[in-house]
Amino acid sequence: MPEVKEYTNQNKPTWCPGCGNFGMWEALKRALSELDMDFDEYSIVWGIGCHGNGADFIRTAGFHGLHGRALPVASALKWAQPNLNVIVEAGDGDGYGLGLSHFVHSVRRNIDMTYLAHDNQIYGLTTGQASPTSDHLMRSVSTPKGVLEEPVNPIGLALAEGATFIARGFAGDIPHLTELYKAAIQHKGFAVVDVYQPCVTWNKHNTFPWFRERVYKLEETDWDTSDRTAAFDLSMKSFRELTCTPDECRVPIGIYYREDDTETYEDGVTAYGEPLYKVAEEPRDVSALIAEFR
Amino acid sequence: MPAGIPHGATEVRIRIGGPAGFGIKAAGQSLARVFTRAGYETFDLTEYPSLIKGGHNTYHLRVSDHEIHSHVLATDILVALDKQTVPLHLDELTEGAAIIYDPKDFDMSEVEGVPEGLCIIPVPLTDIIYDVGGQKIMRNVVALGAVLGHIGFPIELLHASLEEQFSHKAPEIAEVNKKCASAGAEHAAGQGCPFPLDMHPIEGRDPRILIDGNEALSLGALAAGIGFYAAYPMTPASSVLHFMAKHGEDLGVIVKHTEDELAAMNMVVGAAFGGARAMCCTSGGGFALMNEAFGLAGVSESAVVVGLMTRPGPATGMPTWTEQSDLRYALHAAQGEFPRVVLAPGDRDDAFTMGWQAFNIADVLQTPVIVLGDAYLSDHRASVAPFDSSAVTVDRGKLITEGEVTDYLRYRLTEDGVSERVLPGVKGAEQLVNSYEHDEFGYGAQGEDPDVRVAQNEKRMRKLDLAREICPTPAYYGPTEADLSIILFGSTKMPVREAMSWLEPDGVSVNMMQITTVWPFPAEEVMTFLGAARKTAVIEGNLTGQLRGLIRQECLLDVDHTLARHDGRPFSPEQLYAWIKEVLA
Repeated sequence: MPEVKEYTNQNKPTWCPGCGNFGMWEALKRALSELDMDFDEYSIVWGIGCHGNGADFIRTAGFHGLHGRALPVASALKWAQPNLNVIVEAGDGDGYGLGLSHFVHSVRRNIDMTYLAHDNQIYGLTTGQASPTSDHLMRSVSTPKGVLEEPVNPIGLALAEGATFIARGFAGDIPHLTELYKAAIQHKGFAVVDVYQPCVTWNKHNTFPWFRERVYKLEETDWDTSDRTAAFDLSMKSFRELTCTPDECRVPIGIYYREDDTETYEDGVTAYGEPLYKVAEEPRDVSALIAEFR
Repeated sequence: MPAGIPHGATEVRIRIGGPAGFGIKAAGQSLARVFTRAGYETFDLTEYPSLIKGGHNTYHLRVSDHEIHSHVLATDILVALDKQTVPLHLDELTEGAAIIYDPKDFDMSEVEGVPEGLCIIPVPLTDIIYDVGGQKIMRNVVALGAVLGHIGFPIELLHASLEEQFSHKAPEIAEVNKKCASAGAEHAAGQGCPFPLDMHPIEGRDPRILIDGNEALSLGALAAGIGFYAAYPMTPASSVLHFMAKHGEDLGVIVKHTEDELAAMNMVVGAAFGGARAMCCTSGGGFALMNEAFGLAGVSESAVVVGLMTRPGPATGMPTWTEQSDLRYALHAAQGEFPRVVLAPGDRDDAFTMGWQAFNIADVLQTPVIVLGDAYLSDHRASVAPFDSSAVTVDRGKLITEGEVTDYLRYRLTEDGVSERVLPGVKGAEQLVNSYEHDEFGYGAQGEDPDVRVAQNEKRMRKLDLAREICPTPAYYGPTEADLSIILFGSTKMPVREAMSWLEPDGVSVNMMQITTVWPFPAEEVMTFLGAARKTAVIEGNLTGQLRGLIRQECLLDVDHTLARHDGRPFSPEQLYAWIKEVLA
């Protein structure tokens, strides 16, 4: 079993000191180590953003793709290499802005892979604009009068599209997040973990202390992870106003909903199973197909 | 207008016209199958607006006992399934041409401008189907029967074709269709309007396949071992998706109709990263959505193939028509600079051959390859000799799929610019395939170092030198010395070859250079060709002279004449024949 530290390489993280991405980075390394995942058994695909800079800091045969487009790259990688555990890392602007359509369609497909959303409710790398998950009326350099839209509700969206595993994590609780990651990676189907990972530089509102006063763990309640409707209601009750007090808005973390033994997209694909390089080792005989045109 | 018949050939040109949604193309293709199986060469042209029902659709079929290269405009038999078909096509009718129509649809005497001397053949298409217990959709079949009856061609081949088409659904439907065909034939044969040519099945001809460019390209890709195809529907590329969806899965291809073209191109890049041979096809608008990921394929050194089937643009343009206006677009799409290969098939044989060669080129160079076609090549079927699949080879270049590697660097600097590509899953294959500029391992942070940037940028572009060695060289047609030397790319090859064969008996010699690999541009070959020419011309289907501009840019040479066309229609051999004569006059 590779130890946690073995998953890092010679590159030093360039995230701001205290960045929420550190917690997610650490939790992922722990999860991979505890799942005994060797470096040739998984592949990580990143979008673009502060989260994506993490592509340089972890050992994998990975792919650092375009802004918002990690999911289609990862989906086809999974289909081409069925033996790989494919993990997608995306941001909130990246995955719920530009990439929202891919997110919804990937949920629909229930592709057997893991989606880790670095949700800091702000654009970090482009210096502090509001993101799709920024709170209503949050002020930023791109929204000086406040965000006029309701925030994207990734959990509700995923549930509406038939998500088979949806969880929310908090980068300030690494042991809890590690367990969520492990469950997500082991889930057969598309597993989503949306992680609140405060941006210490640009988001002056949804900070670590702000979350610490509000998060609670679903597994410490009598939460039923098989009730999709209740999970949807819960996703709608999460805070979306800036002015709420800790008593008024509680932030549930943990597994909202899971459904095991579901059909994945791949289950319906006849050609899925062998790595796809194997069908290109020699020319395919198409003479019978050509003859059909006579 | 010249009749457009090669010297000594027996030839008939049939047009079926009517409202969309009545199976005109399917009916026409049945007719094409009949003549192809009877030993004739055929070439069809379906013209239709971007509508599902209504509008004016036509199917034109050229049938010849000689070698042919393209469609023609001339029509000898016009099947008018509605009134507007007649005036729309009067000017293309040859002397003594026949018009087959149903007097219940319209009164021919009310159509203005119908000249004397035509063979007017009223056939009660609708009454016949009810007489034999058929349905309205079978009107086309009665009309096909009438065409064969008029020509005096045996109906049995059409019967066989109908049986093939319908017997797997229900034998009784096949029977009713056959009755429709026979009744139509008998009716037209009794019109006392003799067909001037003796046409009958020809024995002993080599077998032909009846195929369009998209089907040919798809077969080439399948032969190459494609493992992943992704696309979002867009005319005229959609039929590749349909073909792959129908045949691919059983052959081990994962076929995905994606949420959009961005997903399609990104998926193709992801599948290539995983080791699949991967392709997506689209038209200009879809390619616009793919552009960022197309550049990603360039910087990440992904071996991908993109089929770009041009229709008139910009934006939605003219969806069901043809143009050659995306040449420059294919050369420049996506920001930044990276090596790409652009292949331009000119006919069905090219489409098959380049269909498989594109994958070898992509794998050897580890860079995106565009197969640039257009609606004229994509959509229309012609008879060709069956493709030789035994000629297909697979060269995956520096790809390592299994085993173990040490000290691996995905983007190791090499002389030819190509690095070893080791698939994820192989022991020791740690790497970062990256959309950012990167170092030899693939790390983005180090990619911003100026020396690293320059080294990687130049490494990638070195692959173009290798491309020059492995990509198809220009194709030449006609005599070495000629009165006019034509340079062109893509599907314009077909009508130009046809026009050349008409000019030859007139004593006009023309030769032609088809640029098969548009990028990297074969500047040396073009300079040699132009240097040896008496008079030169570029013929291309766009407004601004994109190929001509490219010749000037790459060769510092110009041509004497340009013929451009951008009305959505392909060049016709009639137009080319007249234009070449005018240029040489």
